[in-house]
Amino acid sequence: MKKTNIILLVVIAVAIGVIITMVGDFSTYETFATARQKEGKEFHVIGTLDTLQTMTYDPLKDANFFSFYVKDKKGETRKVVFNGAKPTDFEKAESVVLTGMMDGNDFHCSKILMKCPSKYKNDQVVLGKTEPANKPL
Amino acid sequence: MNFVGEHLLPGQIGHFAAILAFVASLVATVAYYCAVVNKEEPVRESWKKIARWGFFIQSIAVLAVFSCLYYILYNHFFEYKYAWRNTSRDLPIQYLLSSLWSDQEGSFLLWSIWNSVLGIILIRTSRKWESPVMTVISLSQLMMSSMLLGIFILGYKVGSNPFMLLRQAEENQVAPIFQSPDYLSFIHDGNGLNLTLQNYWMVIHPPVLFLGFASMIVPFAFAFAGIWTRDYTGWTKPVLPWGLFAIAILGLGIMMGAAWAYESLNFGGYWAWDPVENASLVPWLLMVAGVHTCLAYKSTGHALKSTVFFFFLAFITILYSTFLTRSGVLGDSSVHSFTDLGMSGQLLIFMGAFTIPAIWLMIARRKEIPVLHKEESTYSREFWLFVGSLVLLISAIQITFTTSIPVWNKLLDLFGLKKLFNLDEMAPPSDAMFHYNKIQIWLAVILGLLTAVVQYMRYKDTPRRVLGKKLLVPTVLSLVITLAIIFAGGVNYTDYGAGFLGAIYLMLFATVYAVVANVLYIISDQKGKIKAAGASIAHVGFGMVLLGALLSSSRKEVISLDKMKMLSQDIFRKESKQNARENIMLPLGVPVEMGAYHATFVGDSIAPGDAKVYFKVDYERKDKAGNIVERFRLYPNAFVNSKENALTSNPASRHYLHKDIFTYITATPPLKDKTAPANDTANYTSHLVAEGDSIFFSKGFMIMRGIEKDPKNRNYQARQGDLAVGANLEVYTQTDDHFNLQPVYLIRDSAYQYSIEDTLAPLALQVRFSKILPAENKIEIKVKEADANSDYIIMKAIVFPYINVLWLGVIVMIVGTLIAVVYRVKLNKGSVKATAARVKEKV
Repeated sequence: MKKTNIILLVVIAVAIGVIITMVGDFSTYETFATARQKEGKEFHVIGTLDTLQTMTYDPLKDANFFSFYVKDKKGETRKVVFNGAKPTDFEKAESVVLTGMMDGNDFHCSKILMKCPSKYKNDQVVLGKTEPANKPL
Repeated sequence: MNFVGEHLLPGQIGHFAAILAFVASLVATVAYYCAVVNKEEPVRESWKKIARWGFFIQSIAVLAVFSCLYYILYNHFFEYKYAWRNTSRDLPIQYLLSSLWSDQEGSFLLWSIWNSVLGIILIRTSRKWESPVMTVISLSQLMMSSMLLGIFILGYKVGSNPFMLLRQAEENQVAPIFQSPDYLSFIHDGNGLNLTLQNYWMVIHPPVLFLGFASMIVPFAFAFAGIWTRDYTGWTKPVLPWGLFAIAILGLGIMMGAAWAYESLNFGGYWAWDPVENASLVPWLLMVAGVHTCLAYKSTGHALKSTVFFFFLAFITILYSTFLTRSGVLGDSSVHSFTDLGMSGQLLIFMGAFTIPAIWLMIARRKEIPVLHKEESTYSREFWLFVGSLVLLISAIQITFTTSIPVWNKLLDLFGLKKLFNLDEMAPPSDAMFHYNKIQIWLAVILGLLTAVVQYMRYKDTPRRVLGKKLLVPTVLSLVITLAIIFAGGVNYTDYGAGFLGAIYLMLFATVYAVVANVLYIISDQKGKIKAAGASIAHVGFGMVLLGALLSSSRKEVISLDKMKMLSQDIFRKESKQNARENIMLPLGVPVEMGAYHATFVGDSIAPGDAKVYFKVDYERKDKAGNIVERFRLYPNAFVNSKENALTSNPASRHYLHKDIFTYITATPPLKDKTAPANDTANYTSHLVAEGDSIFFSKGFMIMRGIEKDPKNRNYQARQGDLAVGANLEVYTQTDDHFNLQPVYLIRDSAYQYSIEDTLAPLALQVRFSKILPAENKIEIKVKEADANSDYIIMKAIVFPYINVLWLGVIVMIVGTLIAVVYRVKLNKGSVKATAARVKEKV
């Protein structure tokens, strides 16, 4: 057998090994309910901001404490705690992807990824404001 | 209806040019194809003539599209959606180009222009390879120009027209404003360019990156042409400078993106393994692998098939990365990708149009590709070049595999496998950085070692004694340097345990080895001849990049840690370590300790004609005796939207040769508070304390040291018969300086209780001694922080050490590669010199 072939086999074996160990690292998208069942492990939760409940960020008291409420895909609303500053334009986020874990009743997240509405969709809203209501067509 | 005030002509010219580009590139593709497959020489020549005209016309047309779009943006014609979306009247002129390529259409246009430029150079230089190579390039131009069409063909929208009018946009067609002929008089300004793109790197990074993208097609085209025309070996000569050029430019483009990420801190550093970054790194790795196997082939005849494979794969991954970043599939895993324009199908066709013929040709003609049946020696350069390329391949596979998680989800869904096995939706690893690092670090170790050793080997075989002798000095020298760095405390990163630290030490040695061995090689073996030493110079740069990455990331330090809060609240909680409190509050005028510095927020200012607010932060460093040894001021700034109190922050940094200190604002008090009258509505909070107890407040804590029977307070004058005690309070702020307070509690005339407060002006702190509880041996202290009128900033400061090693490495690597390009072009031109030089050809 040629040395090149042996090397190729080794490389394929290493690649397969690497891929298998990688899959173990992959996280999953969960809801608050399923994340609660597996407390102590980090997950991704996709949800929308519950704007009816208060968002707390008081840098005078603590510059690294930000809490808000998120409704997940199943409709469950949970308090989310983030140890950091409040991200800019957070209120505008259409949906958020949270990375973190359940801790008691709260979800502690270490990373927030916001999906802001693309500028496109706001066109109508923004332009609509400048439009007098009873303009003759 | 006639609309008032619209400028339709530039848009019409532009759209016509876009269609012309599409048609002309179709002509060029077909004509070049015929010029290859036709059997008669004169017919071939006439096809080629047509094809050249076609390509030439499409190049002009693409340039015309670009000019029209720029004209529209420059004049703020907001009737065009592209101008409305991406510019505003106050946008500084230098960022007009950034807004041109901030959307998908503009960036395709940029790519297309570079393709045209490269195509014209190829027409002039590639001689007999022109027709097959240009068939491939014209096809890519055809695909690219179809992205800009915006025409419905059989009910399917092909491309997206950058010249679409605002009123024609799908979402606006029913909007009442566009029913009035003078709608333009209501649109005073555009939406503006995304604030993070208003950065000078965003003016130059995209053109360089897309030149890199465009140049990746050339090696693909040559390899394809070789197999297609059954000239299996001739193409390896002209392809080399192109491959090296692609490596240099794509590498430069990627690292310019890293520099932007670093300076704007949008990714929290220069590299975050974000899918968008990964998507352009993978093709680069594969092209590097391809160029190295190509060199091995040219000198020995081995590894031709793998060269073809790598050149094909490098361009296919470019197309794949285009698909990933532009189809919206990355939506949940990267904030930095484009939004979906509904062109996913078209992007897939783009990918398929190149992938399928290439793979099919390679399989169908695999037996015709010449193979050398002799085995390589373990002491030959070509053998290790091949091994190194495979390591690069593994690296590329790992990065692609994880980056493609959203694609795997889609595929599993598509085939119904997810339901079948009841699988959860996969998400990227929660600690993505470590996920990549822990695998890539081993590959980097191997690559570093190979970079150091392999060039000392000769092609075919190396006498072992010679190799050992040559490697002795660099090896010993590198070991010494590595140990010196380790013992000097240069690398100490224990966040992920001792095992990972061990890997870091190994990588430290490998990268130092790569730098040292290549420098010595240039001096000793190449006798300092720079012209021929391009490769070694590039390798020195490559080693420096890895070394700089290692040093800076293993010692990156957030110095703005809010230690106070960590003490008070959650030091014993399990996540207190991961969730380091990285933001700190700087009250106006109060120095706060950060690492070796004291930082003071001294105010903000606004410059006329600049939308940003500049915050002034003074840094001071004292030596042990308390003398100030260093003092500087940073101006981190931010776009502050006063209506929503939203801010987009730009860091300011202090650059040193050996480190950078970054400072940026994460929050400011609501701006309206500054103008509103100070309302003192804060309440006192009560604390019951015994001697030695502490009380925490927002900016620090105080310790009750005891009761003073003979109190001294500037607000208190002792009177006969008073029964007065003072509480001795030691106040510690976030800085290391501390203050003493003594509020007084007294009983006057045996009946009236008074409490005389003490105040600490810089902290706006009021402290009252309000009660004595003899039974519990405690006293009551009331604390108030009058905060409503105070001014402050919340900021973050990060120190990146040795980052300049990385940037210098990038420059060295690019320069070295470009020297190699020049050298290869010269070799290819002068055939006599070339044969002479090939004997002692270096990697």
